[in-house]
Amino acid sequence: MPSGTIVTGVIGSDTHIVGNRILTMALEKAGYKVVSLGALTPAADFVKAAVETRAQAILVSSLYGQGELDCRGFRDLCTEAGLEDILLYVGGNLVVGKRSWEETEQTYRAMGFDRVAAPGTRSEAVLEWLAQDLSGQEA
Amino acid sequence: MNAPATADSLRQPLSEAAIPQDLFARMRKQNLARWPTGAGVDFEAGVERHKSLPRHKQLAPVLRAADAEGRCLTQPRGGFGTFELQRELMQTLDRDGHADVVPTTTDSYTRNEQWQLAQKGIEESERMGRSMLNGYPMVNYGVDHARRLVDAIDKPAIMLTGTSMPKLTGEIGYAAGYSGYLGSGIAYTVSYIKELSIEEGIRNYQYLDRLAAMYQEAGVELHRRQPGFLTGTNIPPSIAIITAVLDCLLAAAQGVRNYGLEMGQTLHLVQDAAATVVCREMCQEYLARKGYRDVFTPVTLLHWMGAWPQDEAQAAALIGYGGTLAAIAGAVSVTTKSTHEAFGIPTPQANAEGLRTTRMAIYLARGIRLDGLPEFEREKELIRREVRPIVDKVLEMGDGDVAVGTVRAFEAGVLDIPWSPNRHVKSRVLPARDADGCLRILDAGLMPFPKEVLEVHEERLRRRAERDRIAYGPELAVASVYEISEPVAKLLPDRAR
Repeated sequence: MPSGTIVTGVIGSDTHIVGNRILTMALEKAGYKVVSLGALTPAADFVKAAVETRAQAILVSSLYGQGELDCRGFRDLCTEAGLEDILLYVGGNLVVGKRSWEETEQTYRAMGFDRVAAPGTRSEAVLEWLAQDLSGQEA
Repeated sequence: MNAPATADSLRQPLSEAAIPQDLFARMRKQNLARWPTGAGVDFEAGVERHKSLPRHKQLAPVLRAADAEGRCLTQPRGGFGTFELQRELMQTLDRDGHADVVPTTTDSYTRNEQWQLAQKGIEESERMGRSMLNGYPMVNYGVDHARRLVDAIDKPAIMLTGTSMPKLTGEIGYAAGYSGYLGSGIAYTVSYIKELSIEEGIRNYQYLDRLAAMYQEAGVELHRRQPGFLTGTNIPPSIAIITAVLDCLLAAAQGVRNYGLEMGQTLHLVQDAAATVVCREMCQEYLARKGYRDVFTPVTLLHWMGAWPQDEAQAAALIGYGGTLAAIAGAVSVTTKSTHEAFGIPTPQANAEGLRTTRMAIYLARGIRLDGLPEFEREKELIRREVRPIVDKVLEMGDGDVAVGTVRAFEAGVLDIPWSPNRHVKSRVLPARDADGCLRILDAGLMPFPKEVLEVHEERLRRRAERDRIAYGPELAVASVYEISEPVAKLLPDRAR
């Protein structure tokens, strides 16, 4: 049974909550403690919640295209708050317009995200990533 | 990050009553002072602007004519982060897409009145040479640029602004010659914001409705429209229609006389056709009950609003079928999507293709109606039996006042919306798709639907759960969220299961 605390939310001025809520339900069912921040969450609120709850990972959702602006500097915010090693995932429709996935993934990798989930990624895939990445951390 | 509450001196107790003239003048002055471009709004000039537009560029008469002729018009969405990109987009939609109504979708910073962030987005977009915003920052660019956008097309222009804070965007767009505005106090407050209360959302749209009515009183009929698609994910028709009726009554009380009603397609032909008829009928029934006899309420259907398949061939089927549905349902217009929907905002060309695919489907479906079909008649009656008890209860809770009743009903869970991001909505009601493909209510939460009605829903949903071997409960709701986006080989395998 997995254990650990995970922060979830939809970043920026984005209201698309459905996928994020389904992911949150799946994480809870899998045994994680989930701090669910919901829609329209500023980057700083993710970091604050992660500090307060000593979370192992932050899972950022974005579906409206402006994630590229909202996620800039996210890794730096974490580092400044003392969360150098926290796992960062991001997923959704991450850019405005239809661009190649490789390019989009690279953009977000460069911003410091450990995993970048393409549109349509199911919660089971995210659970597998977490199991791998968190077990590595504990070892 | 949300709009500041109205200053106390401008605040009356919440009610549905029309905002008094002198108070409204003071509210407008304060509103227009919130960003420099507000100074560019001149009401008298706005009235003259609309009077100078040819009739085919005025949405209100265009919709009345389409309704009288039984036509189904097409309208896409579309917004980019800079003026040049926006103008090019609108021209492409007009000329290559043959859009009957041309949109301007605002970006999400503008929707949340974060105009400083929007300004940065414009600069970034210019620097990167591509749109970094998901829409057009209408407020930052102001009235003159908006006028130039309206001048660049030969169709009516509508503002699509997904916001519970429409006051400055609406002033600027209407003053510039946009003749339609999509948005309403209940529907958008439950769908597009987390913290803003239902009361504040209603108040914000009472402002916009009063503004539209002021133009009406000056001899310019403007179009207002209710986004009953709500959170866009598996909204059963009755829940959409309940909000449509209440928002419509609120608008009529401010003096609006041209009020469109939008619903997301369920993708079941019979259910969509039934919903289209009953939506208009229920609005008219309650308008008449409140003494409003001259409000025009055409219905618009929207292409599928939930998650889309990534396969463009599958997406094309949803687009064509959505045109067919809207035409057969008798919708006065259909709001279109494109084959890029699964990936986000489409290119202008893909957007225009979506329009043409839809247009062809409408042409093919001309004249077909379902009247007399037993299943159609049954579905209409079922929706009526869901809508009336809830709307009646809301009116009762407000002692006849729609605004007060709505706020109290959301607090009590009598009004509820699936998948709402808003903290003031219980969001306990849960929808799912049944064995036949209709959207039904899996869990009514605290909404007082009649027991016999809910039994019908449960029976249909249990058949689906059994057939697809999904547990009857939240899992069925989740499976229904993904369903339409699944690969076609999974939905309809090559060999029988």
